[in-house]
Amino acid sequence: MASASTKYNSHSLENESIKRTSQDGLNQDLNETVPRLPGETLITDKEVIYICPFNGPIKGRVYITNYRLYLRSLETDSALILDVPLGVISRIEKMGGATSRGENSYGLDITCKDMRNLRFALKQEGHSRRDMFETLTRYAFPLAHSLPLFAFLNEEKFNVDGWTVYNPVEEYQRQGLPNHNWRITFINKCYELCETYPALLMVPYRTSDEDLRRVAAFRSRNRIPVLSWIHPENKTAIVRCSQPLVGMSGKRNKDDEKYLDAIRETNKQNSKLTIYDARPSVNAVANKATGGGYESDDAYHNAELSFLDIHNIHVMRESLKKVRDIVYPNVEESHWLSSLESTHWLEHIKLVLTGAIQVADKVSSGKSSVLVHCSDGWDRTAQLTSLAMLMLDSFYRSIEGFEVLVQKEWISFGHKFASRIGHGDKNHADADRSPIFLQFIDCVWQMSKQFPTAFEFNERFLITILDHLYSCRFGTFLFNCESARERQKVPERTVSLWSMINSNKEKFKNPFYTKEIDRVLYPVASMRHLELWVNYYIRWNPRIKQQQPNPVEQRYMELLALRDDYIKRLEELQLANSAKLSDPPTSPSQMMPHVQTHF
Amino acid sequence: SDDKINSEPKIKKLEPVLLPGEIVVNEVNFVRKCIATDTSQYDLWGKLICSNFKISFITDDPMPLQKFHYRNLLLGQHDVPLTCIEQIVTVNDHKRKQKVLGPNQKLKFNPTELIIYCKDFRIVRFRFDESGPESAKKVCLAIAHYSQPTDLQLLFAFEYVGKKYHNSASRINGVSPEGGGRGGMGAGGGTPSQKTPLFETYSDWDREIKRTGASGWRVCSINEGYMISTCLPEYFVVPSSLADQDLKIFSHSFVGRRMPLWCWSHSNGSALVRMALIKDVLQQRKIDQRICNAITKSHPQRSDVYKLDLDKTLPNIQEIQAAFVKLKQLCVNEPFEETEEKWLSSLENTRWLEYVRIFLKHSAEVVYMLESKRLSVVLQEEEGRDLSCLVASLVQVMLDAYFRTITGFQSLIQKEWVMAGYQFLDRCNHLKRSEKESPLFLLFLDATWQLLEQYPAAFEFSETYLAVLYDSTRISLFGTFLFNSPHQRVKQSTEFAISKNIQLGDEKGLKFPSVWDWSLQFTAKDRTLFHNPFYIGKSMPCVQNGSVKAFKRTKKSYSSTLRGMPSSLKNGILSDQELLPRRNSLVLKRKPDPLQHTDGQNSDMEQYLREWFSKPADLHGVILPQLSGAHIKLWKLCYFRWVPEAQIHLGGPITAFHKLSLLVDEVDVLSSMLRQQHSSPLQACDTDLDQGRMFFRARGLPASAGTPEFLSSSFPFSPVGNLCRRSILGTPLSKFLSGAKIWLSTETLANED
Repeated sequence: MASASTKYNSHSLENESIKRTSQDGLNQDLNETVPRLPGETLITDKEVIYICPFNGPIKGRVYITNYRLYLRSLETDSALILDVPLGVISRIEKMGGATSRGENSYGLDITCKDMRNLRFALKQEGHSRRDMFETLTRYAFPLAHSLPLFAFLNEEKFNVDGWTVYNPVEEYQRQGLPNHNWRITFINKCYELCETYPALLMVPYRTSDEDLRRVAAFRSRNRIPVLSWIHPENKTAIVRCSQPLVGMSGKRNKDDEKYLDAIRETNKQNSKLTIYDARPSVNAVANKATGGGYESDDAYHNAELSFLDIHNIHVMRESLKKVRDIVYPNVEESHWLSSLESTHWLEHIKLVLTGAIQVADKVSSGKSSVLVHCSDGWDRTAQLTSLAMLMLDSFYRSIEGFEVLVQKEWISFGHKFASRIGHGDKNHADADRSPIFLQFIDCVWQMSKQFPTAFEFNERFLITILDHLYSCRFGTFLFNCESARERQKVPERTVSLWSMINSNKEKFKNPFYTKEIDRVLYPVASMRHLELWVNYYIRWNPRIKQQQPNPVEQRYMELLALRDDYIKRLEELQLANSAKLSDPPTSPSQMMPHVQTHF
Repeated sequence: SDDKINSEPKIKKLEPVLLPGEIVVNEVNFVRKCIATDTSQYDLWGKLICSNFKISFITDDPMPLQKFHYRNLLLGQHDVPLTCIEQIVTVNDHKRKQKVLGPNQKLKFNPTELIIYCKDFRIVRFRFDESGPESAKKVCLAIAHYSQPTDLQLLFAFEYVGKKYHNSASRINGVSPEGGGRGGMGAGGGTPSQKTPLFETYSDWDREIKRTGASGWRVCSINEGYMISTCLPEYFVVPSSLADQDLKIFSHSFVGRRMPLWCWSHSNGSALVRMALIKDVLQQRKIDQRICNAITKSHPQRSDVYKLDLDKTLPNIQEIQAAFVKLKQLCVNEPFEETEEKWLSSLENTRWLEYVRIFLKHSAEVVYMLESKRLSVVLQEEEGRDLSCLVASLVQVMLDAYFRTITGFQSLIQKEWVMAGYQFLDRCNHLKRSEKESPLFLLFLDATWQLLEQYPAAFEFSETYLAVLYDSTRISLFGTFLFNSPHQRVKQSTEFAISKNIQLGDEKGLKFPSVWDWSLQFTAKDRTLFHNPFYIGKSMPCVQNGSVKAFKRTKKSYSSTLRGMPSSLKNGILSDQELLPRRNSLVLKRKPDPLQHTDGQNSDMEQYLREWFSKPADLHGVILPQLSGAHIKLWKLCYFRWVPEAQIHLGGPITAFHKLSLLVDEVDVLSSMLRQQHSSPLQACDTDLDQGRMFFRARGLPASAGTPEFLSSSFPFSPVGNLCRRSILGTPLSKFLSGAKIWLSTETLANED
């Protein structure tokens, strides 16, 4: 929250927690306590100068709890409130030393994971900076201090349990599985085959568990090919895995070759199995040096391999850094488009979307089943399979369907959220961190821009997911894989993000949603259509602020209300008239064949 | 009755559908029209004709692949008006020859292929493999000849309107010469068919003065019969304190005798005025002083006058034209895939968006002067008939909600463009001979689109309306966009009338059909696509009472529940340049330099904008554009509608438009049912209901109906057959074209003996 007005940005995370204060508008009671979640405790408070990059220095009082940093302006004409979950903090630095001169040159500089930077100036006397630094460090990086993440202390209660949203058996049943070509295996029940995979896996019917074990030996981190999604009619499948352990010597593995053939044969097409290696081909070749590689033509006669040229986590991290440089605190003005181009962010988005479109198209056309992998099969692979599934299966475009998709392809299949985000970890420069999931959500947003009626959820839903990707308020994105989550009893000990969202669904609905069952969505992955997601990346800048609430959605809701009002009045009138004429009343909703349901 | 120019829409056996006065000048049979970019399998067979109005391809073959056709009543599906043709390229692929055809040129080979580059971004292509080689050549030459006439009176509108006058007794074909002028929307469905004021008469100006509540301004008739200036309208508005006699004297000192013209007045009394430069150096100061004093006197608070020299602050018409050419090259000519990688920087390099932004920015500045500083503003420009048209109209779109209605917007174009002497003939380059071509009018539509994009509920019209309006500038049938000035219309058409023995009676020149008579181009149903379902309408501003209250923001829109609250501004504002040092820098810039602070104007304006943006926008009041790079966007419907690769099937903003239209339609039905119930339940069904306001109708649809199959991001246009970029002789089209230009110059040299 960088300015007073942003406070009403309904897309920001703070919205849930400060609802109380925002309702009474200007007349805020300065003595009012800091908003607090059940389980949240106040640690300290200090008088500071918040150096707002947009409005200049503002005197305020900062409150630090075990969950958030909360600042309220002490200046009478400013209603500024800053509400930052400590989870978004990636780095805390001291600025200025004992000899620093000049106003506001002594204080703290806080780098956040959500594209902003916060600066506070403190008094040099009385150790106030040291106190604040230490408190913040302790609670923003609890792992280094043997403290629990806030999610384990959060005592929020919701009337919906988000942990029940995804049940793998039900989801496979929804897809019509198992069938006579695919079976569920319990081989990974205690994560003994593959530590980073879920317990339940869907594999070709005729491959035995014994065979699976031998395949696992030939796949990086034992992440064997398993089914993600099957086409309801043509029965072609999307299968995911990690790279084969080919190595420099070009090792082969009969079991792996046989297994891929078994996958190919699960549908009745006689065509080859399509393998999409998400990486650029040079990277795939380079991986041979570390024991990895890709499926060669010689070894896999019945497969056709193409590379999708998507770069690795390090490239994506650097790209996002560049985006940040051009949008925060000030938006590059004079050469906006070429600056944007030089970040390559949209180019990466384009490649991910293009890859997913190819996967979706292959499967939807019924030409062949598709195997997707990258190196370990938990970053680019997750992006490709989940986006392709979103294009193919309208269920995933509903709110709960999308939750299932994230829960399944990302959380259960071991996208390393803990490493990529660095929850509660102070090592901000960790090379394992990368905005892969953000990139996926960005792709979803791009799709929703191109198809404004195809998704049940709105932009706020996506932004809320991203906010809680960092906040550590919910257990949903904590830890790297299912086995770790199970060890930590995450579902028992934490609240799911989906509990909060699903108990408040109206807020996250797209009024233009038109449910269409069988439609495959092919976005146009062209720079002509891809846009920087301004409402996310530039949301802290009050000058870039988009109108809130979205005027278009707003208009739709107003008209819905008007329609309902008319229907009510008509019914009343007709009732009155029919009483006079003693005719049987016709309800206006009967006369209107197209009465939509009120959201 | 105006609705039926083509009373028989069905095409007879390969016979062209001709308008009154239209004649076929040449034709060729067994022509193939290319449809798809990558294959010839969809090509159509038919006859290609060249008339004095259009080129027309007549075929019995059904159009493949296309799911929707937005039919223009004046044109067949495959027709191109001659005035829409930008360039004609003929090719002979056996001899490997190609030539860009100018008028009166020879063609030394028989063309096997004809490529028409259109001004509306289409590229249409025909093949003559099976046609008679001589006839093919003749048609190409005829097209080249007729699409590049040397004289204004050769434009089809003259022939058409002449025929109308001859036929006016029998009135067979619809448009009456008198009635064609004032076009209403006539879309039915409860919208009262409102006439667009054309500002040709005294009373239109007088009504506009009253509508804006301007005091201290009067209509001046000294230019009746164009006695003072041939590029000013006959009637215009001037400060009341300036007498006709003075104006006559002053007028000599202005370029083109274009003295100050009133455009509009704010309810606070400040006025927007446009004028040419004072060329008389000796008199300059004196006249300038007199004019400014008069404008000050016309202000109820006697506020000062703020002058904006547009020539110094804005790009000139050549620069704008250059940007447009680059934009067009990038959007349609260049191969799609090759331009992807550098798309953003290439787009930036066209400078088109930069110019859109500059115009919006300067217009917003004028809004600030008028609205917040309560100063009258004078837009000054050399001749005062190019950039001023754009700025004056944008300012009014931002300030006055009336100009965001269809009728209001049309009246604005009449007032600030047509009547103010914007040189449509030269700027649109209808005669294809001037170096004066410049797309200022498109730039205005684009800038308006940016506002529509940012405030979708503030406009009565849709982006389809804006695109269709742009296309209409390329149809040489309407008088609206045909002339350099109202005087030119009178002069040229009087000459024409005399030469054709047409009795004009009391009329000043021929009455050409007005573009605002949309029924000439589109059916009532198709015209409903002009309506924006997001628009939050209000009863039309009342003209009778004089003062209009629409400008004031209502108290309730400040309500904190809606959006934001005033942000804290006490601490001065960091301007864009004052970046905070990113990290580890000990010196922080906290407050603006005192020096910068003295630059009061800018920071005041900043503050005004800031305060404005911190409050909810009143859609019936002022709207201001967001101007960051991220907010100024490319108008995709206009520039990508013919590009097949950019088409989002079943997607794009139109899908939300569709969904909302259904709801609006439903609400309309309910409200009319309510009205009936109130009046008399036994009354016959309201006729309004048969003709809804919306193109997409809820009635009769099953509740489960999804997005119609024919929707795409190009809707209602379709790229099928309209952008044929197949390579020629193995050369990609874009490279081919630039090659052709070079080749042309050498061949012409060699040929001309």
